[in-house]
Amino acid sequence: MEGRGTAAAAAGRPRPPRLLVAALSALLLLALWKLAALGVGKEIVLPSPERVAAEALSLYPTPRFLEALLATFLRGLAAFGLSVGIGALAGIFSGLSPVFEAALAPLLTVIRATPVLALILVALLWFPSGAVPVFAAFLMAFPVMATSAAEGARAADPRLLEMAGLFRVPGRQVLLRVRLPAAAPHLVAGARSALGLSWKVVVAGEVLSQPLRALGSGLQDSRVLLETPRVLAWAAATIFLCGLTEWLFGLAAKKALRHVL
Amino acid sequence: MSFELVAARKSYGGLAVLDGIDLRAEDGSVLVVLGPSGCGKTTLLNAIAGLCPLDSGERRGLDQARFSYAFQEPRLLPWLTARDNAAFALSGLMDRRAALARVEPLLEAAGLCDAGDRRPAELSGGMRQRLSLVRAFAYPADVLLLDEAFQAVDLKTKIELMDAFLGLWRRERPTAVCVTHDVEEAAYLADRAVVLSARPARVVDDFAIGVPRAERSLGSDATMEAEARLYRLVLGSREAL
Repeated sequence: MEGRGTAAAAAGRPRPPRLLVAALSALLLLALWKLAALGVGKEIVLPSPERVAAEALSLYPTPRFLEALLATFLRGLAAFGLSVGIGALAGIFSGLSPVFEAALAPLLTVIRATPVLALILVALLWFPSGAVPVFAAFLMAFPVMATSAAEGARAADPRLLEMAGLFRVPGRQVLLRVRLPAAAPHLVAGARSALGLSWKVVVAGEVLSQPLRALGSGLQDSRVLLETPRVLAWAAATIFLCGLTEWLFGLAAKKALRHVL
Repeated sequence: MSFELVAARKSYGGLAVLDGIDLRAEDGSVLVVLGPSGCGKTTLLNAIAGLCPLDSGERRGLDQARFSYAFQEPRLLPWLTARDNAAFALSGLMDRRAALARVEPLLEAAGLCDAGDRRPAELSGGMRQRLSLVRAFAYPADVLLLDEAFQAVDLKTKIELMDAFLGLWRRERPTAVCVTHDVEEAAYLADRAVVLSARPARVVDDFAIGVPRAERSLGSDATMEAEARLYRLVLGSREAL
C-alpha cells in the first residue's frame, strides 16, 4: 500500500536532483553577496566573498584557530552531552510521573523565559570564563530535550501497553520493544534541537566570556579590531562546525532509529 | 479446561453491569457470548480473566487458569515483523528462538507464512487481525478470550478470519470465549451460545448450537436456523426493555 504509492510516485515523477538544486541555491547566495559587496564598496562593512575566503585560508592553518576550534568543539559537545543526558532523564521521569512533571514545570518555565544573554552575564559571575558557555548552552538546551523526552515517555500506545501486560511480557521487553521505539523519534528530535542550540549558545557565550581559546573569542577580537573579513572567517568556521555535527548527528540518528524501529 | 460463572454480579459506582450471570464453558469448546453493544461483554471477559473482581457470585475452575487474548483491534507493534509480533507475547515464557519456533506453524495455519517478515503496515486489515489470532493461540493458555475480534472487517474478510480462527482452534483446542454482537459469528463459531440482555446484562438464553461443524457454512439451512433462533432472542430481549 504505502510502498506501492511511493513506487508509483517515483515512477511517475523523477526525483528532484536535490544536491544540484542546493548547490545552485548556494551559488546564487554567493552571487548576491558579491553584488552587495560591490554595491557597498567598503570592506569594513561588507567584504567580498573572495576576500573572506582568502582571510579564512590564512586564518585556518594557524595554531590559534585550531586550538580555538577544538576548544569550542569540546564545549559544544559537553553542553550537548549534558543537556541531552540530564534532559532525557528529567523528561522521562516527568513523562512517567505527573508529580515529577509538576515539580519540574516552574524550573523549565523560568529557564525558558530567561534571555540567553542574561543567563550568560549571570554565569560570568559564577563560573570561570571557559565554563560559562557550557553552562549557558546546557540551560538553554536542557528544557528542549526534557520536553521532547517527556513526550516520548508518554508516546507508547496504552492499548499496546495493556496487551503486553495481559501477556505478562517482562518489563525489560516492554521497555525495549514498546516504550523505547515509541519514544525514539521524540528523543531524536529533542537531541537534534539541543545540538543546534548548543553551538549557537556556546559561541554567543564565548563572545561575552572571552575564554583564551574559543571561536567566539576570535570573533569578538576581530570585531574589536574592525577586521570584518576575519570576523566572517571565524563565523564561517562556527557555521561549518554546526553543519558538520548536525549532518553527522543525522546519520547516527537514522542508524539508531533503524535499529530500534 | 472447563469453568463456570455462577450468579456473577458487578457494578461500577451504582451502575449495574453484570446482573447475576450464569455461564459454563466446556473444556476445549467455543462459547460465544452474544449481546448488544455496551451491555457489559468486556466486563464479563475481564471478570472471567480475574482482572476485575466480582461484587458477588463465583468463578469456578479458573484459579489456576492461564489466559490469552485477542482484541477488537489487532494491537500489533508497528516496528516488529509479523513473526516477531506473535513471538513478542511469548517473551516472558521462552527465549526468542523457541518463541519463533512455536509461532511458525501457527502462521502457516493462518495463511501468513509468506508474510512473516513483513511489518503490520505492509499487511491488509484482515491479515493483521489474523496475526493477532496467531499471537493469541501461540500464547500457551487454558482459556482464550476474544473481545469482538472478528469485527471491523468486511464480510469476506470476516469469514476468512473465522476460518483461520477455527483452523487454529482445532490445532490447539483451548477453551475459547468470544464476545460479540454479531449473530452470524455466533452461529458459525459457537459450540454453545449465551445471549445477554442490554445493560445490566442478564442471560436471556443459553443453548448448544446443534449443528455439526462440518455442516456449518454461512447461508446453509442448518446455520440459518441457528441464526434465526439467535436473531429472535436478540430482538426479543431488546423488545422486552
